[in-house]
Amino acid sequence: MREIFVPLEAYQVVAAVLFTIGLIGVLVRRSALIIFMSIELMLNAVNLSFVAFSKFHGQMDGQIFVFFVMSVAAAEVAVGLAILVAIFRNRETAHVDHVNLLKG
Amino acid sequence: MTEAVLFALFSVSAIVFAFNVVFRKNPVHCALFLVCVLLSLSGMFILLNAAFIAAIQILIYAGAIMVLFLFVVMLLNVKGETPLLTPGAAKGFGFFFAVIAFAELLWTVLTRGGAEGTPEQAVALPPGFGSPAEIGRVLYTTWLFPFEVTSILLLVAVIGAVVLAKRKFL
Repeated sequence: MREIFVPLEAYQVVAAVLFTIGLIGVLVRRSALIIFMSIELMLNAVNLSFVAFSKFHGQMDGQIFVFFVMSVAAAEVAVGLAILVAIFRNRETAHVDHVNLLKG
Repeated sequence: MTEAVLFALFSVSAIVFAFNVVFRKNPVHCALFLVCVLLSLSGMFILLNAAFIAAIQILIYAGAIMVLFLFVVMLLNVKGETPLLTPGAAKGFGFFFAVIAFAELLWTVLTRGGAEGTPEQAVALPPGFGSPAEIGRVLYTTWLFPFEVTSILLLVAVIGAVVLAKRKFL
């Protein structure tokens, strides 16, 4: 049977689809928690892109970058969820539409 | 052949689960579907000769970060939102700009952004590619300084989380 290779574009298209789904989640959902999950989705799509490029170029640097993206994501989630808990404590809501103090 | 089948399996499952993450009402369901997305992606990392990254993905993302998410869902006791999506024109604009962004991404990927030099086939990988030993060697030689900066970032994040969690500062 003929060997079928998965091209680089296939991985990139999957990463683009995942990124777009995450983008839709950030733009149209209202719960701050779901928005955070969508951001995680977008970060993971970019990670997939990095790892795919890393393999197809034969260089390890892409995988190292995934490392850094993961640590940034961990820091972001820790601080972001702490902010979310603080907002919920003060405003009794986790909806981004209800937190509009700065809106003119 | 096996690679193509596994790639199709992982990519379809990742995309289906991702849709469920965004369009589910219950935040707990969203979080659990996000775990499924992360597991599919770690399978794809294994296909891409990144076994160590796949293991880290399961340990840190599916393990630590998702536990944090579920913890906050439990702590806040958030209900499913009604209506699900943001009302009014913002929803239409959201989908519109997302579609535009997707078209741009697709154009960049399929035309390679007009750039030359991206290989058609994977180059022959050196032995030990993606192994923990090789990752450690690159991380602690070429990327040593960014690695140290990461530790400061994590320290700042820990301090920030503790300060925000204290009641008297707010």
